[in-house]
Amino acid sequence: MIGVVTLIIGLILGYMGQRSRFCTISGIRDFYLLRDAYRFKGLIGIVIGGIIGFSIFKVAGGEFPGFPLLSEGINVEPPLLIPIMIFGAFGMAFFSTMAEGCPFRQHIMLGEGRLSGVLYIAGLVIGIIFFDIVIVPYLQLLTIVG
Amino acid sequence: MKMKLPKISYNFKLSANLALITGLMMGILAAAAQGFFEVQPPVGQGVCAITHPSNLVNWLVNNIFGTEFTIHGIFVAVPVLTPVGWIIGSFIAALKNKEFQIRRGPVRENLLAFIFGFLIVNLALLWGSCPIRTAVLASYGWVFAIIILATIVIGVILACEYIKWKVRRM
Repeated sequence: MIGVVTLIIGLILGYMGQRSRFCTISGIRDFYLLRDAYRFKGLIGIVIGGIIGFSIFKVAGGEFPGFPLLSEGINVEPPLLIPIMIFGAFGMAFFSTMAEGCPFRQHIMLGEGRLSGVLYIAGLVIGIIFFDIVIVPYLQLLTIVG
Repeated sequence: MKMKLPKISYNFKLSANLALITGLMMGILAAAAQGFFEVQPPVGQGVCAITHPSNLVNWLVNNIFGTEFTIHGIFVAVPVLTPVGWIIGSFIAALKNKEFQIRRGPVRENLLAFIFGFLIVNLALLWGSCPIRTAVLASYGWVFAIIILATIVIGVILACEYIKWKVRRM
């Protein structure tokens, strides 16, 4: 069931993503550099759509443990991971701006036949395996220490 | 005496708001996937351009080579297929609208595009989400995701300033 659901969601968003040129990173970039809010509205849309979806579906009987999490504060265990996570998010944003798009947009560009999209995803696949082999053991160690 | 009422016009153009609609759909579908199709734990896992490819690659590697790379519990038996859907969906849309064309760019150098993919996934996995899921988690009310969303905005702004500085030097 999950395989089919995720594939259908992927197909819908892939189609819409190509037609709308949706990109979270370019949205922020365009708004900052050109005051063009077209793609930035997409990022705002996720937050609004999420709030609407979580609220309505919760009333409809959906399973949303702890929603809304606001009262729980930062809630990261162990706290030692907080600076690492912030560093990771910052680096992702910085280099995604250089790469002309967020990871979702790169998948869309691959579907459009863009060569750099193909190579980006190839790098992403190798990167995932590298992360599993090299980085994960250190993170596990930090988790134990923390 | 007739009173003239102010004219209220709705100037909502669909084509000018496609990105907004796509964003809204992402948020709503992520919530629906979690609430009704058990795409959890962790929460807000309905749409993610980092953990979904990561789970899919790890699932494939584990099944082919017998490794034990980490996969979220929900995706152990059946692989997550959103990344496949994005690529096929985009391919269909591009083909249907005669926009499919094998061409270079937007990153000029091929090796650089590969390095970006490698580097970005490693940094993103340290945080554990892509910007889309970060926004979904922010809408779920997780304070730390809101902080991370602000960090992403700062990261993009600093990258823009770096690019501007580099262009000025040329």
